[in-house]
Amino acid sequence: MAVAAVHTSGGIADHIHPEPQGFIRRYVFSIDHKIIGIQYLITGFVFLVLAGLLAELIRVQLMNANGGFISPDTYNEIYTMHGSAMVWLVIIPIVTGGFGNFIFPLQLGARDVAFPWLNMLSFWMFPVAGLLLFSSFLLGAPVAGWTEYPPMSLQGGVGTSMWCVAIFLVGVSSTLTGMNFMVTILKMRAPGMTFTRMPLFVWAQLATAPLSMVATTALAAALAALFMERQFGIPFYDPARGGSPVLWQHMFWFYSHPAVYIMILPVFGIISEVLPTFARKPVFGYKLIAFSSVAIALAGFMVWAHHMFTSGLAPYLQLPFMILTFTIAVPTGVKIFSWMATLWGGKIHYTTALLFAVGFLALFTFGGVTGIFLAAVPFDLHAHGTYFIVGHFHYVLVGGSLMGIFAGMYYWFPKFSGRMLNETIGKWHFWLFFVGFNGTFLPMHWLGFLGMPRRVAEYDPQFQMWNRVESVSSFIMTFAILLFFINMFVSMRNGKKAGPNPWGGRTLEWMIPSPPHYYNFKNIPTVYALPYDFSEPLPYKGLEDELNDKPPAQLAGAHH
Amino acid sequence: MAVASAALDAQHHEPVDQLYAETRDMRLIGFLFFLFSDVVLFSSFIFAYLYLRNSGQGWPPQGVPRPDVALAALNSAILFGSGATMHYALENWKHGKFFRYAGFMIATIILGAMFLTGQVVEYTALYTKEHVTWGGSGIFGASFFTLTGMHGFHVLVGVFYLITLLLQSVHGVYSKDKYFGLTAGTLYWHFVDVIWVVLFSIFYLI
Ligand SMILES: [Cu+2]
Repeated sequence: MAVAAVHTSGGIADHIHPEPQGFIRRYVFSIDHKIIGIQYLITGFVFLVLAGLLAELIRVQLMNANGGFISPDTYNEIYTMHGSAMVWLVIIPIVTGGFGNFIFPLQLGARDVAFPWLNMLSFWMFPVAGLLLFSSFLLGAPVAGWTEYPPMSLQGGVGTSMWCVAIFLVGVSSTLTGMNFMVTILKMRAPGMTFTRMPLFVWAQLATAPLSMVATTALAAALAALFMERQFGIPFYDPARGGSPVLWQHMFWFYSHPAVYIMILPVFGIISEVLPTFARKPVFGYKLIAFSSVAIALAGFMVWAHHMFTSGLAPYLQLPFMILTFTIAVPTGVKIFSWMATLWGGKIHYTTALLFAVGFLALFTFGGVTGIFLAAVPFDLHAHGTYFIVGHFHYVLVGGSLMGIFAGMYYWFPKFSGRMLNETIGKWHFWLFFVGFNGTFLPMHWLGFLGMPRRVAEYDPQFQMWNRVESVSSFIMTFAILLFFINMFVSMRNGKKAGPNPWGGRTLEWMIPSPPHYYNFKNIPTVYALPYDFSEPLPYKGLEDELNDKPPAQLAGAHH
Repeated sequence: MAVASAALDAQHHEPVDQLYAETRDMRLIGFLFFLFSDVVLFSSFIFAYLYLRNSGQGWPPQGVPRPDVALAALNSAILFGSGATMHYALENWKHGKFFRYAGFMIATIILGAMFLTGQVVEYTALYTKEHVTWGGSGIFGASFFTLTGMHGFHVLVGVFYLITLLLQSVHGVYSKDKYFGLTAGTLYWHFVDVIWVVLFSIFYLI
């Protein structure tokens, strides 16, 4: 791309709109990607609190082998809603809509996403869906687990139909966001920002967006069919009427395996930004990390039936699904080793963000390894439906995704708000969370081996001691998250002023004020190289005016 | 009005035209992504249909007739014809022949409406003669009415979309160089055509 020639052309990417006026247009129905990103984060954290309280109800119930705190029926509702909310209302919206919206357009040198109005629409579907989902408690919440396997999901009250509509809505929101992000990354990169100069967080979003687009649409079909069967009696899944419950499993997992990558690839992006910044070292294997995200995304479409080894899948199908699942470990391992090599020999700054990133490396790797166990058919036949599974996916989704979300929050909170989070509270947050997390989820692995089934309100008394360890640890974890929220509330007003670039970051979002102006850049910069080479001068031109008080040239002209 | 100067400036790229070109490109890619995810939606239901059909109950299920190929073939011809008229409508617009454009647009809309009428006739015949219903005829009713109904809904939306585009072009929304809406409408209509080719093959031919 001819850098200079492109820069002079005042195209759509270079156009500054007049500033939106009034509270509603600025903060409620905003079309600014940064405000929308923060809206996603706040809404996602509210649902994190709700879904986390549900988790604590589960843990209180399991303190005693014979339960007794809540009824088994309520227990079914609670773990179903906990899983559904954590997946669709917390992790996916936070890592794509939240971090994605705020950060990657800045890293591209863009003024907004490609379709700002569509972005606003996508956001507002999300809280509506969340309210719909949680209000199903009033009418009898769904009880068949977050996977809602028929025939159980065909029974029960209207709550399951509300679940269908709510998940369909967040699905549409996620699909539209994926399209929006794809077009933005394809068409709105700053001059000189070739694909192989994009920051790794942008690569992560680029790998995630097609998953949101394709996989989520398949889920929409499965949900629509479930809804039609429940409300109008159209036979898709009911075996008594010719339907097939296994059909739902195929369609559900065709979405939900890629959904695992929707929840983890953006977090890989966060880790890939945090590690080089605090190791003060170029990221090791830039292209390996970038392309392995794409490889994981593509391969992720061909492994869904590893969730169905106990569902009567033909043996000649089990083998390819097992082997394909094993192969996904290769690009994932490439990433883990690249990150470790990034830290190796670096001048490491032990900030809270870095601690969370390193914690992520340890816990995600552990969860990945148990994932390889489970991909092996003979092992899976033994462990399926036990607490081993619960332990495994919490290591990936909490130890992986949520730890990565915290790393991203400590890293980018100064950019969001202009203030630093308190590092002392942050370190308490990290260590308590790390200890509480392992205490909660590590024992699940051997409890699962010993045969403790998941999704049951009571259990064999021999497991009681470890369950109490888990419950107490989970209270510690909850307390750590409380510290995080306190930290945010206190730092928002009283935190140290951050300045534009408190960490010495090198990607474009650190080149402009914190929080950025609504137009992001006074002049769209030109990019000459990858951002990560700490021994070289910054590879940007045209950023001279970003940190002074002059209004952008386009708006200054308009005033006369 | 702007036509002559646009021809003169074809090599200069005024800022405004560049702005239009970039917006059009982004919308085009976005629209193609939208159509692609629509393809995934249809594919998922098609997968469900083929999965159920091959689940060992025999096809069509007991007591359900095969749908009428003759009527569907006639309907297909009507829809493919509308694809051709849509193509000529856009070509005439590009060459500035407004009246021929409008004629082909109206033809497309009428053919689309005829297709929908054909579908209503088919559904009615299935219901009154054979008592085949959406929920009461096992996996045949479920897959046939869901998929053809989804497609019919797309045609219905398309008819209204084309009417809107025609009214917009009468009111001067589009010019000889700036007609992204018409491009999108054409793409959408061809997409609906292609989906029908697949549905026709899997329900009536195999
Ligand atoms: Cu999976």
